[in-house]
Amino acid sequence: MSVSYLEAIREAQAHLLREDKRVFIYGQDISGNFGGAFKATKGLAAEFPGRVLNTPISEDAMVGTAIGAALEGMRPIVEMQFADFSSIALNQILNNAGTQYWRTNIPCPITVRLPSGGTKGSGPFHSQSMEGIYAHYPGLIVMTPATVEDAYTMLIDAVAIDDPVIYCEHKYLYYHLKADELPKNRLPIGQARVVRPGRDLSIVTYSVMVHEALAAAEELRADGFEVDVVDLRTVKPLDTDTVLASVARTGRLLCVGESFPWGGVTAEVIARVATEGFHLLDAAPARLNAKDTPIPYHPNLWSEHRPNENSIAKKARQILAE
Amino acid sequence: MLQTAGRKGTSTPGKAAPHKRYLEAFRWMLQTRIFEEKLTSLYRGGLITGGVYVGRGQEAVSAACGMFLKKGDVFAPLIRDQAGRAAFGEPLLDVARTYLGSRQGPMRGRDGNIHRGRPRAGQLAMISHLGAMIPVVVGTLLAKRMKGEKDFVGLTTIGEGGMQTGATHEGMNIAAVEGVPFVLVATNNHYAYSTPNDREFVCADLVDRAPAYGYEGRSLDGTDLSECLDVIGGAVERARAGGPPQLVVASTLRLAGHGEHDDASYVAAEIKGEDFARDSLQRAEEFIKEEGLADADTLAQWRADATAQVNEAVSTAQEEAAPDGNEEDWSAISTRTLTDRIS
Amino acid sequence: MPNVPITMPQLGESMAEATIVAVKVQPGDKVAADQEIIEVETDKAVMGVTTPCAGEIVKIEAEVKGVYAVGAVLGYVEASAADAARLVKKSPTPPKGDIAKEIPGREGPESKDAPARNGSHFQVDEEGLPAVPTGSHFQVDQTGLLPVPAATKGAGYLSPRVRARMTELQLTQADLAGIAGSGNAGRVTIKDLETFLGTIEKSQAENASAIRTGVADAMRRSWTRPLATVGLSVCLDPVLEDRKKREAKPGPALYVLRALALALAESPATAARLIGGRAIRSESIDVGVAVEAQDGIMVPVIREADKTSLGDLTSRYAELVDLARRRRLTADMTSGGIASVSNFGTFGLDWGTPIPLPDQTLLLGLGAGRKTPFWDEKTGAFVPRTEAQMTLSFDHRSLDGGGAGRLLQRVVELLGSPEKL
Repeated sequence: MSVSYLEAIREAQAHLLREDKRVFIYGQDISGNFGGAFKATKGLAAEFPGRVLNTPISEDAMVGTAIGAALEGMRPIVEMQFADFSSIALNQILNNAGTQYWRTNIPCPITVRLPSGGTKGSGPFHSQSMEGIYAHYPGLIVMTPATVEDAYTMLIDAVAIDDPVIYCEHKYLYYHLKADELPKNRLPIGQARVVRPGRDLSIVTYSVMVHEALAAAEELRADGFEVDVVDLRTVKPLDTDTVLASVARTGRLLCVGESFPWGGVTAEVIARVATEGFHLLDAAPARLNAKDTPIPYHPNLWSEHRPNENSIAKKARQILAE
Repeated sequence: MLQTAGRKGTSTPGKAAPHKRYLEAFRWMLQTRIFEEKLTSLYRGGLITGGVYVGRGQEAVSAACGMFLKKGDVFAPLIRDQAGRAAFGEPLLDVARTYLGSRQGPMRGRDGNIHRGRPRAGQLAMISHLGAMIPVVVGTLLAKRMKGEKDFVGLTTIGEGGMQTGATHEGMNIAAVEGVPFVLVATNNHYAYSTPNDREFVCADLVDRAPAYGYEGRSLDGTDLSECLDVIGGAVERARAGGPPQLVVASTLRLAGHGEHDDASYVAAEIKGEDFARDSLQRAEEFIKEEGLADADTLAQWRADATAQVNEAVSTAQEEAAPDGNEEDWSAISTRTLTDRIS
Repeated sequence: MPNVPITMPQLGESMAEATIVAVKVQPGDKVAADQEIIEVETDKAVMGVTTPCAGEIVKIEAEVKGVYAVGAVLGYVEASAADAARLVKKSPTPPKGDIAKEIPGREGPESKDAPARNGSHFQVDEEGLPAVPTGSHFQVDQTGLLPVPAATKGAGYLSPRVRARMTELQLTQADLAGIAGSGNAGRVTIKDLETFLGTIEKSQAENASAIRTGVADAMRRSWTRPLATVGLSVCLDPVLEDRKKREAKPGPALYVLRALALALAESPATAARLIGGRAIRSESIDVGVAVEAQDGIMVPVIREADKTSLGDLTSRYAELVDLARRRRLTADMTSGGIASVSNFGTFGLDWGTPIPLPDQTLLLGLGAGRKTPFWDEKTGAFVPRTEAQMTLSFDHRSLDGGGAGRLLQRVVELLGSPEKL
């Protein structure tokens, strides 16, 4: 048996609906036989009647409704059809969910699932990575699972956490990534994972870029370099300790993210290493992001717009040559 | 061109019998007026930081919004709802503590003035973004239904300004889609801050939108307490009984600035002579005297009682410690182990 | 009666701390104002710490061999109320706590992951060393990248990580001179440093004395400048003749010092120090003279040497040498010179390139006098004469070979008429 990243998300939701009566799923086109634009809820409406609910195309109201339900003790999961459309719900997520606990002392346990990131041919409005925006605002936890195992366990953890969670699931990984079975163990939320130990360079990344970084690391190994690859898993909280420990081993840092380059997660990682680990560095820390343009539709342009194995390896060589 | 989109009231005070809870409502209105005058005076004395926002002129509508809700119901008040909040059960001390920044208030100095709330007691804490509380109320009602609760209703208020946001549209629609027991009371006080109706909307009356959303709609004279109680009480009752969502549009004039920092000099002189520009509290007191519902001594006693309550709340809050930045728990999430630590 | 603290004074600009050599009083002793009660040693000298006022010693906190920062309380005098009122508020406040602990990044959870941070002095984790990268990555990238310029990240570049390790071990860049860097363009990598430290850990070692490290620091700072040396022979016979006639018997080095002072008085710009875009000139021709003390060199300064007769200069020199040998020179006796003289001839040497002090532009060196055959144009024959080699080391930013040569020639000329000195 094998299970894909997408199936892990569906299985996690099935598990949650089965185990926790407070859970319901709220989103566009997720109910009935259709089961969502990406089939992340396929079959769940029939198995859990009344708990997988279609909504109007009202991203703002979807999240607002989830907030109200959470305040009444429920554990709603909101599915955005694409992460890009969550911009319409920014007000509810940032200003209502994100401030609720701080202002009223009452936690707001909603989980918002964002089908994130680029795939070939998706273009400017169906490819975005929004984690940097959500991490910038206080009051939210932002998860970016990179593996089938994390997709499953982190979604279950997201719903259990008493605070709002933005769960960024990567669309490219939905079908491309498979594991033999659902995981039996879990790594706690808030801990990054060293996916590949190394001595010469730390590549700190998350979500789909973990896989591009691993491929680049393999390429660099042929040149005699051992690259330490760190999967952040959650970008907020950011596991600075694991990042610093990695940089202490290698003295060099490359931070990779698929999102736009201005600010964001990669800049945050570098800022923290420069502040807390300047003395650990043998070379200036560097980062690699998508280009500072909207995301192009054509596959030839798209594959150059985002970081990939080749551009990561090239950037890594520059840092290693310093 | 001045556009006054309100309709005249349907009931005629002095002829029909007053609502049976008329005097109770009057006392909430009176307490509100006294409290808000006190807050204004504290603000002008430099004792309140930030702002003071009052509901002068809207006390009748607001009181009616709070009075028909009970334990288990959900109320999401807005900027001009002191009377409704008090009628729903919010202690005066919560108000004083929030305005005066006591660390013991429900907001503990983290948010001020009209943003206060106690979600667990059914009173949601508004955010400033208008229309945002509508779907939140819908969510609480959806959850109650899922949990098997019965006999509940949710009510939120808004102004004619807030009626124009996209969030309000999404929220009103989703309430109807979910079929939850929901009441939206929109008060057209004729100014969105300084902008008059003709730059806000062009339909004859905002209540005309009700059928388009699948709501039942009523409009009323917001200066007429009896009508407020009749119409809003009726809307709450219909929603609670399983009727469709209810839209009530009340017509008033904001008899104050947007906040106490605002002198409202932009309010046109001619609008002050309109029927909806009357002071609902003054109208109610005159009605009580005319009808002999309470004698002068009783009215004076009510005023004295309210003043004493207000003074006690204010002096209690004033004696309490202010929050201290060095002692503050600077975590925006409840799961402390997941607080991001940035050096 | 109130207590007035006795504090570690600032005994020189660069002094941060000093070691207690002796404590001459104990609690109960009556002391006068300005009485020397504690001896302390800095990297330059041994000096006395005096009482702030008259009174009775109530407490001595200073321990012999202990090191105390400037401003640290060494003890207390019980003083009159008037003295206390005047003094207590003016006393310097000792630094709070351990300064090292206040340095950010020195403590905290991330430290545990840093390599060899907490180990013993120079401890190296051999297992944890990264492998040496193979050379292939230094090839020029065929995709069009330019090669990394060696000037910016080459041999002289020390990464923050290497610098942090050096700071931790109190190493300067000069200490790394013995390491052939294996990094890009010969850069010293963290691995090179740790390997080097591992090597010297196995060697015999002892702590260098304060004066040794003081000299080392001065030389290192001086060496940051482009220094050059020129040389010239000088006939010492007139000097040796003149010396016989003088009561004070000044040594040849003092004749040289005096001649240098007079030559500098004629062209003071020669000794100017270049700082930024400005040539800084001294008002007074104060000239230092290097004196060998145990385990190091001290350079006391003779003030206004151009206006001091050779006789007075000789007695002043004798005093200073005595103080230096007993390590009693104070900071103001060794500071402010514009040039110095080093008589390396006393070690039997002919020639050297001594290094000027960090705050001076010139150092004149004098070699040993030798009987040498000299071609006399008048008689057309070799004649014996006593000749020594003089060198002038200078900061080439301030002075060129020509200027240095003219100064040296003028000194030789003046030494030709020693009776006028």
